[in-house]
Amino acid sequence: MKKTQNTVNYNKYGWFFISFAMLAFILFTLYPMIESLSLSFKVLRDGEYVFGGLTNIKRLLGDKIFHKTIGNTFLFLAVQAPLMLMLALVYATILNAPKLRFRTFYRTAIFVPCVTSLVAYSVLFKLMFANDGIINYLLVNLHLIEAPIFFLNDPFWARVVIILAMTWRWTGYNMMFYLAALQNIPAETYEAARVDGANAVQTLFKITIPQLKPIILLTTIMTTNGTLQLFDEPMNITGGGPAEMTTTMSQYIYNNAFVYAPNFGYSVSMSYVIVTLVALLAFVQFKVGKD
Amino acid sequence: MKKRLGLLLATGMLSFSMILAGCGNSSKESGANGAGGASGAAETNDEAATEETQKITVWAWDDNFNVAVMKTAAEYYKKLNPDANVEIEVISNSKEDIYKKLQTGLASGGKSLPDICLIEDYSIYQYLNSYSKYFYPLNDDVDYSQFSPYKVEVMTYNDKAYGIPFDAGVTGLFYRADYLEQAGFTAADLEDITWDRFIEIGKQVEEQTGVKMTVANGTNYSSLFRTMMQSAGAWYCDSNGELTITNNEVLKESLETIKKMRDAGIILECADDSTLAGAINDGTTASVINAAWRVSTIKAEPEQSGKWAVASTPRLNNANSVNASNTGGSSWYVLDNGQDKGAIVDFLKAVYAGDIDFYSDILVNQGAVGTYLPAQEGKAYQTEDEFFGGQKVFAEFASWLPEVPSVMYGKNVPESNTAVNTALFSYLQGDITVEEALTQAEDQLKNQIQ
Repeated sequence: MKKTQNTVNYNKYGWFFISFAMLAFILFTLYPMIESLSLSFKVLRDGEYVFGGLTNIKRLLGDKIFHKTIGNTFLFLAVQAPLMLMLALVYATILNAPKLRFRTFYRTAIFVPCVTSLVAYSVLFKLMFANDGIINYLLVNLHLIEAPIFFLNDPFWARVVIILAMTWRWTGYNMMFYLAALQNIPAETYEAARVDGANAVQTLFKITIPQLKPIILLTTIMTTNGTLQLFDEPMNITGGGPAEMTTTMSQYIYNNAFVYAPNFGYSVSMSYVIVTLVALLAFVQFKVGKD
Repeated sequence: MKKRLGLLLATGMLSFSMILAGCGNSSKESGANGAGGASGAAETNDEAATEETQKITVWAWDDNFNVAVMKTAAEYYKKLNPDANVEIEVISNSKEDIYKKLQTGLASGGKSLPDICLIEDYSIYQYLNSYSKYFYPLNDDVDYSQFSPYKVEVMTYNDKAYGIPFDAGVTGLFYRADYLEQAGFTAADLEDITWDRFIEIGKQVEEQTGVKMTVANGTNYSSLFRTMMQSAGAWYCDSNGELTITNNEVLKESLETIKKMRDAGIILECADDSTLAGAINDGTTASVINAAWRVSTIKAEPEQSGKWAVASTPRLNNANSVNASNTGGSSWYVLDNGQDKGAIVDFLKAVYAGDIDFYSDILVNQGAVGTYLPAQEGKAYQTEDEFFGGQKVFAEFASWLPEVPSVMYGKNVPESNTAVNTALFSYLQGDITVEEALTQAEDQLKNQIQ
C-alpha cells in the first residue's frame, strides 16, 4: 500500500514538473506544426488563405526550380558531409594522441570557428573569395593564375566556396563529439591491441571506429539534418547564384514566403518535403547503423 | 488519487487557455493601435488616449535617405500646422525585415502594422494584389495629376490609387569626364546616344586609359536589363498582367546588348552592390548607369570632385526606346487598420503634396528627387554642383523625369528578375541562344506564378 502511494506521488510531481515543458512544447511546437500542416493545403485568394486541395502539391511536382534546389542541397550533402566527417575523425584521432604537444591549443583553434556567427563567417568568406579578395590576390601573385577568378559567379567555384566555408565552420563541432567519445574508449583495449601486435591502421578500423559507431551515426544524422536545412551560407555568400546553382531548399522556401509574391501555403508545403526527407534519411541511417 | 491527478490536469488546461486568451488580447490591441510592441503597450492606457496626441508610426529602411526624409517631413508638418496634436514616429529597420514584418502582419489579418509604410515600386503590386483591403486608397484626398504619371501608374490597383509617390528612380549615365576627355570624347558625344555607340566609346576608353567603361553586378544584371526595357516602355508583363517574355523584342534586344557589352569587354563585373560602389569610388570604372539616388555613392569619394558628369541614359535601337528610364524608387503607403485616417492623410497631403520647400530641403540634404512635379520649379533644382563640374545635375534628372515611359510592373517582379537573370547567365556563358533563354525564363515563370 505504502509503495503504491509513493508511486502515485512520484507520478503527480512528475506530471507537474514536465507540465511547463509540455505546455511550451504544445504552444510553440505542436500547435504550429498542426497549423502549418493545414496551411500547406491552403492558397491565398484576395488576402485570405482558403482551402486549395492539392494545388500546392501539384505545383511542387511541376516546379523545376524546387527540383533544382533539392538537387543542389543533396549535392552539398553528398560532397560536404562525408568530407567533413572524415576530416573531423582524423583531427579527433590526432588530437587524442597523448604525446602531442600543444593539444589544447589545436583543439581550441579547430573548435573556434563554431562560435562565430553564421552570417559573420559567410561575409568573411565572401570577402576572401571576391574578385579583389585575398585568395585571388595570392593566386595571382604566386603566378598560379593569370587573371582573378570570379569565384562567386562561376557555377563550379561558387559551390566549392560554399563547401569550403561549411567545412571550415562545422568540422570542429563534429570533432568535439568524436574527441569526447574517443576519451571513453578504455586505454586497456589499445594496450591489448598493441600487445597483440596491431598496427595503427588496424587499431583505427578494428577498435576506434567500431567503438565510435553510435557517435558517427549521431553526427551523420545531425549533419544530414543541418545540410538539408542549409540557408545562411548560400544566402550570404552567393545569394543562391549564379543562376540558382547554389540555391538550397530552405532559401527557395524563404523566397516564396518573403521575397516573391507572398505564398505561405506553398512555402509550408515545401518545408514538409524537407521534413519527410530528413525523416526518411534518418530512418535509413539508423537501419544502416544498426546492422 | 486519480481524482487529484484530474484536478491537476484541469488546472493545467485552465492556465493554458488563459495564456492563449492573453495572447489573443494583446495582439488585438496592438493591431488596433497599428503600432505593436512597446508603443502599443503605452497606448492601451486609457488616460493616454484622452490627451488626444495621435501617434503615427512609419516604417522605413535607410537612415541617411528615406528615414531622414520622413523625419524632415515631420518637422515641416509641425511648422505648417503647430496645433496638430500628432507625433510622428519613424521606425528604422532593414528593408528585408520590414518586408518580412509587413508580409507576416498582412497574412495574419492586418495585425501589428504601422500607419505608413515605405514600399518599393517593384514590390507594391504583389501586396495590393493579395491584400488591397489592408491598404487605404487616397484618390479621394490627393490630386494625383501633380505627380509623375509613371509613379502613379505603379500604385493604381482596380482604379484606385494607393499611397503617396516618393522618390524617382529616374536613370542617368554618370561618367568620369576626365577619363572620357583622355580618350577624346566631350560631353556632347555622350548625350542621347544608343547602347551600340556606348560600346564603341567604351572600347576607345579602355584602349586610351586602361579603365573599364562601365560597371555592373555580374551576378545580377536585372537592374541593367530592367532599365533598358523600361526605356522602351516594355516590361515582363503587359498592362493586363499577362507575361510577355518570349514575344518581347525589347527584352530580347536588352539581353543581346548586355552580351555585346560583355563580349566587348567593357563591363567591370562585381560580385555585389557594395563592391560595385567600391569600384565607382576607386576609379576603376569610367561610368555607371544608375538612378539619381546613386549620387550619394559617387559623392562618397571627395577626391573625385569635379571629375564626374552626367548624361542621359543610352537608348536601345528599338523605335520605342527613349533616352530616359527608371530603376528602383519607392513610395509611402497608408495601411488601413480601421482607425480614422484624417490626421495621417492631412499630414501626407500638407507636406508631400504641397510643400515645395520640403522637396528642396530633401533634395539638397538627402539627394532625394521627389516626383511631385510642382517642386521641380524649386530653386534647389537649379543648383550648380561643383562635384559634377558645375553641372545642374538635378535639373537634368528633373528634365528626364517626364520622359520616362510608364509601365505596369505587375505582381511578379522579383520572380521575373530571378528567372530572366538565370536564363541570361546561361546565354552569356554561350550555352544557349537568346531565344532559348527567353523560352526558359517564361517556362520557369509560368510554373511559378499561378
